[in-house]
Amino acid sequence: MISTVARKEMKEMIRDGRFRWAGGIVLALLAGSLAMGWQHYREVNAQHELARRATREQWLHQGVKNPHSAAHYGVYAFKPKMPLSLVDQGVDPWVGVTAFLEAHKQNEFKYRPAQDSTAIQRFGELTGAAVLQLLIPLVIILLAFPAFAEERERGTLRQVLSLGVKPSQLGWGKALGIGWGVGLLVLPATLLGTLALALSAENGAFQSSLPRMAVMFVSYLLYFTAILAISLAVSARARSSRLALVGLIGFWIFNGLIAPRLAADLAKTVYRTPSAFEFARNIEMGLKNGVDGHDPADRRAEELRDAVLKKYNVTKVSDLPVAFQGISLQAGEEHGNQVFDHYYSQLWDTFRQQERVHQIASLAAPMLAVRSLSMALAGTDFAQHAHFARASEEYRRVIQRVMNTDIANNGKVADGPYLRDADLWKQVPDFDYRAPDLAWVLSRQSLSLALLTAWAAGSILLAWRATQRLRVD
Amino acid sequence: MLEAINLSKSYNGTVALDALNLKIEPGEIFCLLGANGAGKTTTINLFLNFIPPSSGTAKINQLDVVQHSLETKKFLAYIPEQVMLYRNLTGIENLEYFTSLAGERYTRDQLSGFLKEAGLPADAAEKRVGAYSKGMRQKVGIAIAIAKKAKALLLDEPTSGLDPKAANEFSELMKKMRDSGSAILVATHDLFRAKESGTRVGIMKHGRMVATLRTDEIGHADLERIYLEHMHD
Repeated sequence: MISTVARKEMKEMIRDGRFRWAGGIVLALLAGSLAMGWQHYREVNAQHELARRATREQWLHQGVKNPHSAAHYGVYAFKPKMPLSLVDQGVDPWVGVTAFLEAHKQNEFKYRPAQDSTAIQRFGELTGAAVLQLLIPLVIILLAFPAFAEERERGTLRQVLSLGVKPSQLGWGKALGIGWGVGLLVLPATLLGTLALALSAENGAFQSSLPRMAVMFVSYLLYFTAILAISLAVSARARSSRLALVGLIGFWIFNGLIAPRLAADLAKTVYRTPSAFEFARNIEMGLKNGVDGHDPADRRAEELRDAVLKKYNVTKVSDLPVAFQGISLQAGEEHGNQVFDHYYSQLWDTFRQQERVHQIASLAAPMLAVRSLSMALAGTDFAQHAHFARASEEYRRVIQRVMNTDIANNGKVADGPYLRDADLWKQVPDFDYRAPDLAWVLSRQSLSLALLTAWAAGSILLAWRATQRLRVD
Repeated sequence: MLEAINLSKSYNGTVALDALNLKIEPGEIFCLLGANGAGKTTTINLFLNFIPPSSGTAKINQLDVVQHSLETKKFLAYIPEQVMLYRNLTGIENLEYFTSLAGERYTRDQLSGFLKEAGLPADAAEKRVGAYSKGMRQKVGIAIAIAKKAKALLLDEPTSGLDPKAANEFSELMKKMRDSGSAILVATHDLFRAKESGTRVGIMKHGRMVATLRTDEIGHADLERIYLEHMHD
């Protein structure tokens, strides 16, 4: 009986000109956004690979110079794009994807397209995520709002129920039929996207993305299920199909447009982040009260000098068997690291708590849960940005340590400047970043996943109850 | 087959149906007459269990319709004033949908046989019902009842708005169903058809059955006179 209803719904949908038009448009938008995402992914990935090699080459071939100059010469770190970023750009356009790693400073990430775009552009950006999170739910609502309400108005519901059909079976059949229609719009583009990735992603990036892909698929499936079940529930209970549509569009606006804003404002109010200026000033103050390799007059530097002299049991710096400059530079770095660790971990804790607020807020709107999950699985959420930022900072510290240790050990030369060449530069390993695995991501997204599942299950229950008390007139 | 025992329905104190007692046997057509709001449609809705009774029972094939909501509908066919169909489906597809929801499986030939039996032209059966006239829709409704092998028919003003020829065809089909042993309850305004095709008529007023007559015992003129007498306040 369920399949009878489902098949009839499909047949009607296929014959309905409105479905064909709307379907064609959505299909084109989804395929277009994924194609654009794919193009972007390929380009950026190729650029990153080139840039990554170039920065390494430049580092290795920077010629003969003092190791500390080399530390200032620096390298760039590029956050690798994951294949699934073609679906969801996440926070990348806001937080940037590359950082300059140099002596003394933990730099901000650069290349933030959002910085240069207007509010309108940001709103109108066509990404796979926007289509999946906003447009598809709208299509589901438009397909499902008449399910019961229109049949009731037209009188076919009376006839169907007079046949001895169980209302819940009618509901399941309609859900399946509409689900099939939505699948018809979403699956071809999804398959094409998967195929494009399978053909283009290199170095096993596709295979390693499969688990993330599967979870992303399930997440969106849960999201669409929730929207469909809510639409059917409203259609079953609404006084008219017009009211059902108005109510559901209201829900759509709240879910997709209002709730994200409210959640962001709430997160910012509860867990305040410092302004960029404030943050920079904090760090500056932190650094000022400490040693700096360039500034031997500093009190900390004096303490350090005394300690080193005592250790080697000499009275003058020139009597030291090691180059004091190297020790002093490294001490400066380590002090700086303490300052950076202090303020950055504060900042990242705040961001993490803000993300937590977003996840909890998905109690009110399923969109927030799926958005969180989608970004996380695409590797473009804040947690993974922070993961990369930490790794690149670690790498910066490795460079400084290698350079400064070399200066300390070998830098005591009788005449002229101390110079080194590629032999030393090679001692710094290449930056080899490993993105977190699925378990790492899921452990941070368990709340989103749980809430999304709860939304789907709760909505199904709601729809089931609504059909149990289906109104005939 | 169809039985009402002290069946009553009131909405917020307004009585829509007042202690109806009625028994319709197989092979019988019972016509409910009365003004709008007399309780005819309420009676049909109660048999369909679309609304719960305030008191009393409605039974189909000796089963209480409230307790056996789905089983009683197996014996039943319902034809409203306007048979509503799915406009993007053809006549035959509509019939197929309704009959398979009723749990019957038929081949395409059998389905077009039912439509033919109900008097729908063969070429119309393959067309989408968006362009069907009311008479054609009512025929699909009859075809559903035939295909369902309904033992009890509930018809709510099925011929109102039909042209005389179509109404006549409909009455003939109804008689055919009666002769094959169905118990039929018709709510109607059409005194002429009620006398022609009905076995008995019941006159309703303000939710009460005020008179029950056998059609073979009275003439057209008598029926009209009695009806009008009852309508006077």
